[in-house]
Amino acid sequence: MSDLAIELDGVGKTYPYFTLDKIDLELPRGQIMGLIGPNGAGKSTTIRIMLGLVHQDYGDVRVLGHRMPAEQVAAKWDIGFASEDMRLYEGMTLEWHMNFIRSIYPSWDAPYAQVLLKRFGLRAEQKIKGLSHGQRVKATLLLVLARRPKLLVLDEPTTGLDPVARHEVLRELTAVMTDEGRSVLFSSHNTQDVEQISDRITFIDRGRIIDSMDKEAYLDRWRRFRLEVPFGIELPALPGIIGIRRDGRLAVATSNAFAPDMANAYESTGARVKSIETMTLEEIFVANVERSREEVEA
Amino acid sequence: MTNPVIRALVLKDWRLHRPQITFSITAGVIALAILQLKNEIAFTIGAVWFFISIIVLGSGLPISNVINERKKQNLAFLMSLPMSAAQYARAKLISTLGMFLVPWVTLVIAASILVLRRPETTNGMIPVMCILFGLPLVGFSVVAGAALASESEGWTMGANLVCNSSYGLGWYLIIRIPAINGNLKSPVAIWNSPVLMILGGEVATILVMLGITFYMQSRKRDFI
Repeated sequence: MSDLAIELDGVGKTYPYFTLDKIDLELPRGQIMGLIGPNGAGKSTTIRIMLGLVHQDYGDVRVLGHRMPAEQVAAKWDIGFASEDMRLYEGMTLEWHMNFIRSIYPSWDAPYAQVLLKRFGLRAEQKIKGLSHGQRVKATLLLVLARRPKLLVLDEPTTGLDPVARHEVLRELTAVMTDEGRSVLFSSHNTQDVEQISDRITFIDRGRIIDSMDKEAYLDRWRRFRLEVPFGIELPALPGIIGIRRDGRLAVATSNAFAPDMANAYESTGARVKSIETMTLEEIFVANVERSREEVEA
Repeated sequence: MTNPVIRALVLKDWRLHRPQITFSITAGVIALAILQLKNEIAFTIGAVWFFISIIVLGSGLPISNVINERKKQNLAFLMSLPMSAAQYARAKLISTLGMFLVPWVTLVIAASILVLRRPETTNGMIPVMCILFGLPLVGFSVVAGAALASESEGWTMGANLVCNSSYGLGWYLIIRIPAINGNLKSPVAIWNSPVLMILGGEVATILVMLGITFYMQSRKRDFI
């Protein structure tokens, strides 16, 4: 059995106004991957190809060892998928939906479903049309989680949730990961959510993967140098520095391959290093997207 | 229907549309009760109401069962279930056909028995009854075919519009055909060539629509 829950190798799909270009992606079993990208970056298309819902034009997709889309039926028994645009039947109760899913999945865990009902503050007898947006998202997650899937694929699950509901959903996702065999792919444009729960981070923009690696290593690699540079001194183009913004005597250099001796290199030119700052995932994301777009446009 | 997921989807559609089916059968039964009154106006009202109850079901079912599932984004919920796009399409075809055929067959059999039991009814009416009862089935197959094959609200509404506006004209033209009209009071059913041609046309339309639907669905690769 492969150690990878998800494996995309050179996957592409062309639409009239959008191209998903040679996507390579790997998610080891038991890990949470955050797939981050701006709106229209290709997150949902990538996920739909992973699930076999849309056929790729080229490239290989394997999910839980199944070749997709040919073996999507076998794969989907072990995949739980929830997306932001998913809607339940408004006129029916949550209990009706639970019974429907239970009639399909022998793995349905009824006691766990009851636990989730309580934890999410939901009432099974309530009709879907009477639920708030946050409650609907939680109801959808309940239907997915109580199947006990080996792989959870969540496409923007926290979009539109208030902070409390978001916290509850993220807490449950973290709890789900206590089962080490379970893997999660979590797409979002909210970097805070992804930073909170992910082991691995993948950035996608304009149909291309622009970076993918372990979250801690990722955060360690990125630094921002605040420098004071006397007039007449040019800052050297150090390897690992992806951008320098200068305003008079002040300059900000951004590194995506931080090494402690970079500060010495700047100091040796006569610049003074005022501070070396870690960056938030959001700052890294924006810097990465800007750099990628500049590279493409150049 | 041995696949448990397809079976679950078909049962789900039946549960979701139970009120619509019940309403249609109830309206049809009321129409048949009115038809039993010994009065020509009541007979006309009952007949019109009877056909309306079937036609409304035939035009509404494909929209609510096929189009609305996409429009209301329930499809995103279903497509994560362990099935392929072709299996989903097959489940839709089975449930849509079944949910129309059960009330249609029930009401048509009941109507045939009740009408033919009337003392003034002759067997000469049997061919025209077959033609008239067949028209809503033809209309349903056109609308359902448009919905299942195109999955487009525009095409389905267009098909609905064409069918619903054609029933009155169709009945009027059929009744005016002398070879049909002249035999209504015949003591025996006369299956002459105009009758057989019209019935053949109805059957052919249904088969063509089913064929197109099967063909389009067999080519279906993606859910979206």
